[in-house]
Amino acid sequence: MQKGVEDKGKYNFRNNITIDWCPGCGDFGIVSAVTQALSNMKMDPDDVVAVSGIGCSGKTPHYLNIAGVHTLHGRAIPYAVGVKLSNPNLNVLVMGGDGDLLSIGAGHFVGEGRRNSGVKVILYNNSVYGLTKGQAAPTLPLGEKVKSLARPNIMGKINPITLAMASGYSFVARAFSSEIKQLSYIIERAIKHEGSAVIEVLQPCPTYNDVNTLDWYRQRVYKLEDDKSWDPVVNKKEEDEEKFDTGYRKSLEWGDHIPIGIFYENNTIPSYTNRLAGIVPEYLKYPPALQEVADKDGYTIVDPIKTFSEKDVE
Amino acid sequence: MQETDINLLVGGPQGGGIDSAANMISMAFSLAGYNIYGIREFHSNIKGRHSYIHFRIMHERPKSLKYPVDIMVALDPDTLFEHMFDVAKGSKVVYDSAFNTFNLKNARMITSDTMGRIQDELAEKNLSFDVKGVLDYFKSTGIDVIAIPFDKLINENVHDGPANRYYNTLGAGTTLALLGLDEEHADDGIKFAFKKKPKVVESNIKVIRAAYDYVEKSPLKVATLPTYPAIPRMLLTGNDATALGKLMGGLRFQTYYPITPASDESTLLESHEDMKFLQNADKIVNKAGLVVVQCEDELSAINMANGAALTGTRSATATSGPGFSLMAEGIGYAGMTEIPVVITFYQRGGPSTGLPTRNGQADLLFALNTGHGEFPKMVISSGDMEECIYDGMKSLNYAQRYQMPVIHLIDKTLANTMDLVPEIDVKKVKIVKYNENTNHENFKRYSLDTENGISPYGVFGKDIFWMTGDEHDELGHVTEDSAMRDKMMEKRMQKLVTADREIPLEDKAVLYGDENADITYVTWGSQKSLLIDTISELKKQGISANLLYLRMFEPFPAEYVAKVLKNSHLIIDVESNMTGQAAKVIRMFTGINIENFILKYNGRHMTLDEVLKSTKNIMEKKTALEVLQEGS
Repeated sequence: MQKGVEDKGKYNFRNNITIDWCPGCGDFGIVSAVTQALSNMKMDPDDVVAVSGIGCSGKTPHYLNIAGVHTLHGRAIPYAVGVKLSNPNLNVLVMGGDGDLLSIGAGHFVGEGRRNSGVKVILYNNSVYGLTKGQAAPTLPLGEKVKSLARPNIMGKINPITLAMASGYSFVARAFSSEIKQLSYIIERAIKHEGSAVIEVLQPCPTYNDVNTLDWYRQRVYKLEDDKSWDPVVNKKEEDEEKFDTGYRKSLEWGDHIPIGIFYENNTIPSYTNRLAGIVPEYLKYPPALQEVADKDGYTIVDPIKTFSEKDVE
Repeated sequence: MQETDINLLVGGPQGGGIDSAANMISMAFSLAGYNIYGIREFHSNIKGRHSYIHFRIMHERPKSLKYPVDIMVALDPDTLFEHMFDVAKGSKVVYDSAFNTFNLKNARMITSDTMGRIQDELAEKNLSFDVKGVLDYFKSTGIDVIAIPFDKLINENVHDGPANRYYNTLGAGTTLALLGLDEEHADDGIKFAFKKKPKVVESNIKVIRAAYDYVEKSPLKVATLPTYPAIPRMLLTGNDATALGKLMGGLRFQTYYPITPASDESTLLESHEDMKFLQNADKIVNKAGLVVVQCEDELSAINMANGAALTGTRSATATSGPGFSLMAEGIGYAGMTEIPVVITFYQRGGPSTGLPTRNGQADLLFALNTGHGEFPKMVISSGDMEECIYDGMKSLNYAQRYQMPVIHLIDKTLANTMDLVPEIDVKKVKIVKYNENTNHENFKRYSLDTENGISPYGVFGKDIFWMTGDEHDELGHVTEDSAMRDKMMEKRMQKLVTADREIPLEDKAVLYGDENADITYVTWGSQKSLLIDTISELKKQGISANLLYLRMFEPFPAEYVAKVLKNSHLIIDVESNMTGQAAKVIRMFTGINIENFILKYNGRHMTLDEVLKSTKNIMEKKTALEVLQEGS
């Protein structure tokens, strides 16, 4: 490890663990974009945590030189929220696949939209379950037949952008794993955003998805910000209805042209951590992780009778 | 003078102010220097179905309940039917005279099975299927039936809303008057019960006056009960006591998903997130409060609690059987990755949704075998209020010290028991911190350089390390190396050996009563105090008995349990389940096969009278298995 590096900008956020993804996997682009964003922000490596689920995407934290948790299938978001709410000073990144976040972990994906606790969800979307040999993920369209499927996909697909917006995420974007510069920029923007973010990353699975290939995406994606009038940022409540509507409609575009970029950013929704600070006034200053729970002799500092005064009989 | 020992039952419709009545009665007696012990029974329903509180009131602190009750107060006709057999000769039944014309077929909230049983009984005695029939049954048994004109008394004295708003107060007031408690304490009880609604205190006190006046002018008046100086106490349920203990034990992050009978703990904590501190905290700057998160499901609850522990926060969750089933995978993860987390597990009647609001102790083997694969976890159990408090503190300590999930078992009976706790010793349990990491460079979270299995604990924000549910190396990276696998499995499991060595015996198992006795009871959970009472009762009858009470199941005090049981004569296992799970655990760890059982799985709490009766049947070799059936 290279902790203690004086110039934070020179810290190597990639460690020396061998990456075992298939050659050509879109995940490489995501690792590059994440490390670029963190370096660019001169992030103190102690201040950022990577949390992943299961599958190829789940291995990401092991390749980063920051604290990392490779959790259970579908459960990355709850772990990340636990870290974030117990220590809101930390920047918490969630790395999960489309199956992980939108199938087995779909309840948490929706729940986090309601909480808006401030975690940044990077959703690896390759439309298949790679590590279990290419079954259909919830983002694979109805009737699509990638080479690993026995028959065309019998289920419909979820649009991660519309689901994220409907769930209440206050920052929603889509990127492409080969557009590393844009992805890195979006990750930076998401980290700077106070509330929770979803960044869907379109990516090829060269082994199991022979439909949505690198070239397939390259021919279709276009950047939202290329349209100079595109402004997805809500800074006043009254702008919300129109910008939400515009972003939502834009996210429905799919086929010959696929928009990538920021669809929606709402800075008027208070984060869960700020809501908590309204209940426990010193919460942001002394969150659970930074509190002393015992006196110097090791005894409790909580007054049971005053705390539960309504139970006191005298 | 005979010691006051009042057994009381107050029944009425759910949502009909039973809790206020119970609070008021409890407070009135506690302010008069008495102790109370009560258990709340209710349906899985918001409004209308039958619910009741079963109380015992003594000067000494009661430890158990018994049937028949001395007074039964019926705030609805259903109570008369549901509790027909909970009263006996010499009991008093207080009810609203308006019930006299009530027909059993109109009691729509009584479930058809219960209705059938009541009808069979009435039919057998040639009695009518109505309140009159039940009252005739009571009268023929030598029970005093006391009809009170509820509406008349209320309408004559208060003119504030419908009369039924005051049924609970009138019922409670009449009870206190009939028992001879002075009226001043009854008024104090009202003030306490309606502390949050001062506006209604005045009219409720008028209702109390009406009740006392009615009783005084009737032939029902009895001698005044003595009063005693009241010492300060806290009126706690098992849910409250556990919440308090966890808070004192340093809990700063709690997650939950709503479930009966666990969520009362979390919602209480939720209303005390801005906790109050003792004087010894004056110089401590970094103190603030607790975070309670209501999650989207129990999968989220356990895994979010795990996540919070990674920042060094003392974290926990609380749930019941169905939620615990969902938590199994997250508990396995905590075992594998050595996360200190507490799962307070309130058992209710299972399987599946089972009896959501009723008692059960059928999850012991499930708790011991939670999750796939082999990983260390601790399983502890509490049996009374004090244990809930101090075990709540210790559960967090164990988790921190041994870096593993700690499952704290509490049963529904204990969760819903009301008890007056005289003092809380803030210095009884010291707070134990995790084995702090001092080497922040090249940190090995899962260092194998440890004899007791405990590696230095890393904290996100201070340390860089990795975690995975896959088998891992010392840094926390995935490995499938066969030799590393063995070392890591052995390191993790070694922590249970360490815990067993370090934790004193009294936290694992306790023998109550004489060392040599004719009968040895074995139990765990809420039957603890009941069996301690049983032993005293038997002693009065010249029968010697003792109790081997189990508090820790993993690590299990096998040697001690074997030693006690090898010296025992008649061993009786007492549990609230159908298969004698603790006895199975004993057999598994010691090879000793317990052959006599008193078991109860109808979802209701055990009572003193039924345990005594069953004990005699076993002693007389009439049976080796007694299944208890009391309770409505």
